[in-house]
Amino acid sequence: MIQNKLSFHQSSVSLEIIGLPDYSNNENKDQISIISQWKLTIIDKPLIEGKIEHLGPIMDAFYIYSNLLIKNEIPIYESKLIDIKADNLHIHNIVLKSSKSNVKPLILKIGNSLLSDTINCFDQLNESSKVRIKKIGFYKNIPKKVRFGLNNKVKFFNFIMPPFIAICSLILFSSTFIYFYNPVDDNKKNELLIPK
Amino acid sequence: MRKSYVNNNIKLDEFDALIKITVEMSRYLYPYIREILQSKEDFEKNSVIWNDFKKRLIELIKERFNLDSMRVKKLLNQTENDEIIIKSLLTLSLCISNQGYQKLKNFLFDF
Repeated sequence: MIQNKLSFHQSSVSLEIIGLPDYSNNENKDQISIISQWKLTIIDKPLIEGKIEHLGPIMDAFYIYSNLLIKNEIPIYESKLIDIKADNLHIHNIVLKSSKSNVKPLILKIGNSLLSDTINCFDQLNESSKVRIKKIGFYKNIPKKVRFGLNNKVKFFNFIMPPFIAICSLILFSSTFIYFYNPVDDNKKNELLIPK
Repeated sequence: MRKSYVNNNIKLDEFDALIKITVEMSRYLYPYIREILQSKEDFEKNSVIWNDFKKRLIELIKERFNLDSMRVKKLLNQTENDEIIIKSLLTLSLCISNQGYQKLKNFLFDF
């Protein structure tokens, strides 16, 4: 049976997906739902290929690492399959570990330009209607609680700030009046008003 | 940060529109953004593009931004600004997909 092949390109990086449509699901001939192989080609670097179960974790690793990098957090990602860490501002060190014990890990050093090319290839795969995989996306990885916060941060801020300032100023003014209030003087006044 | 005597707060719709324009522009300019990033990576061999870009960016900041602001001073600081510029370019280069609008919005909220 002839397998379908789909390629996604971005400057120096290309991602190739090979597989078959799921005929039991009445899919088109050019669709890929059963991925048998994938290849990630980065110019001047060794070819990266693997099984379908490796593609998801590798894509995840790249997405999580790039988020850490941009959010000024420590850019280190470590897993059983792949480690990524920053050597400096421009160079990222990728270690791809084989599941076979006798195979040495593959070490790649890529710059920011190749990192963005690779992530853009993964984005194209995620957005492609011709490949059906468990979609991985930057936005989908954010927990619901955070997602709510992101969408409503500005509105929530505008809503909560006026009462917050009002309460703060009330506390501030009342505390100054407490400072000026002397209970001893008050008792003397009361004694003068109501003689024993 | 801009040179302006009027302190206008940006509305949510305007903020969204600005993000959409930025994403479209970065999609269009991706090859150039990539070249600038690559030039910084191979600085010894190919420093011209990075230097030209940085020179023009600093010129524009001096021309249009409020130079008394601490954040603008940080942008102009030669020792600190490389990291800010690289991260900004990398952020733009990661937001060129169809979901780029949502990505950039999330990056900005987390900034």
